[in-house]
Amino acid sequence: MTRYGMVFDIKRCIGCNACTVACKQENSLPDGVFFTRTLSAESGEYPNVSRTYLPTICNHCEDAPCEKVCPSGATWTRDDGIVMVDGDKCIGCGSCAVACPYDMRTQIEETQITNGLFGDGKLTPFEEQGYSRFECGTFTKCDFCSERVDGGLDPACVATCPTDARVFGDLDDPDSKVSKLIRDRMGRQPLPEKNTRPKVYYID
Amino acid sequence: MFKVSLKNVLRPGFAGGTFKSGYRFQKYWDTPMATAFFCGETGAGLFIVSMLMDFLPGIILGLLITGVGKTFFHLTHMGVPSKAWRALLRPDRSWISRGLWGIIFFVGFGSIHVLGVLFNVVPAGLAPVVYMLAMAGAMVVVTYQGFAMSHSTAISFWSTGLMPISSMLYGLLMGTSLVLVLSLLGFSISNPEYFSMLGLAQVALIVAVQICLLSLLHGAKNGSKGAQQSYILLVKDFLARPFLFGVVGIGSIIPLLILLFVPTNFITSLIVTGCIMLGFYLFRLLVFKAGVLDPILSPADIFKR
Repeated sequence: MTRYGMVFDIKRCIGCNACTVACKQENSLPDGVFFTRTLSAESGEYPNVSRTYLPTICNHCEDAPCEKVCPSGATWTRDDGIVMVDGDKCIGCGSCAVACPYDMRTQIEETQITNGLFGDGKLTPFEEQGYSRFECGTFTKCDFCSERVDGGLDPACVATCPTDARVFGDLDDPDSKVSKLIRDRMGRQPLPEKNTRPKVYYID
Repeated sequence: MFKVSLKNVLRPGFAGGTFKSGYRFQKYWDTPMATAFFCGETGAGLFIVSMLMDFLPGIILGLLITGVGKTFFHLTHMGVPSKAWRALLRPDRSWISRGLWGIIFFVGFGSIHVLGVLFNVVPAGLAPVVYMLAMAGAMVVVTYQGFAMSHSTAISFWSTGLMPISSMLYGLLMGTSLVLVLSLLGFSISNPEYFSMLGLAQVALIVAVQICLLSLLHGAKNGSKGAQQSYILLVKDFLARPFLFGVVGIGSIIPLLILLFVPTNFITSLIVTGCIMLGFYLFRLLVFKAGVLDPILSPADIFKR
């Protein structure tokens, strides 16, 4: 059975945040809302210093804490493992945001979808079309671009990445690129001690 | 006193709302939710103590604090209040959902109990059943918020079995204190012996709350990195002043000293209850503000291998 996951190759990531922009464009995300972010972290002491870029995204956990705590049934998992949010059912209680160890939930605030990107209260046609999918007060998150995946495409962030630092595929297929990368390069899950069993892996 | 924008706070090791890796504050449960928790535990605690003491003014006040206060602040917090009823749908897995069912049982059967006492409208055979269901609902309300927090492994400081215990202890302490104040205000307790018993219970509960707080801090200090950050925030950093002076000093030590060394009268009882209330409210608020998420992945961890 298909079980989608993603691998981030930290050695390849150059921190350009093209993935962040592609995600915002694909999902018509309002100002201040991000489904994916590339974080930077400095380590070492002068002169031996280095900067690492850490792409982050919803981990679509096998044992998703956000789904377990959701009192309204708005968060659910598809058969292929993609954790979804039904905006029509979300009541905006914030339990999912508090339960997510990865800080990957965002609440849509009224000003974010009424002010517009230019902040003058006028929405561009692109914004008008895109923001209609959001409801004020509800929580939202990455869904691995489920509509693209259903159409046989990679998520927008993966398709855009210029260095192939993001790889998307079927974790249950031992011959898929993601499975090989995890196996050969010892893929690590983020915060494994939280017992959420993320489907996103990091390799370096 | 400790106003800070948690979204943009920049302190060593903390990422705030930036694209940096580091600790992050939880920012979605804040003052309205803390107030709702405070109202829920206070109201349910007052109801439980009053039911045990057969103290009708306390029963009614407890129902009002939870039914009106808690509900109002929950709706204030909620992103889509018009869909609040949907929170009833998943009691099989969500503590928020279980809590809402608890509130309905508590307020519903509690109100029927009050009507039964005032107007004798409940058949004698059903009265004990109504009593038990109302008490069961109150027990859920006084503890579920702690369970909802301890269920979250994301915030290590909250992820402890001490959270529901602290909820219950604070709820009962508030209940005991309010019953004492109300009884000194002129509302008589059915059995005068209860008064001295409640006085002793109040002292014991303050001590128990202190032990619980110390255990929480001890667990956080020796817990994961995120929990250690919460400990530092509460004891050494910008939350230390309200926590140590407010929660520990005003909320526990001053009431304990007054109860032990000053004769009880209405004024002292009012001061004690006010101090406990302030300490409890600050506790609820600061536990939310000190909720810290661990860094998603530390580069040091990656390069360690």
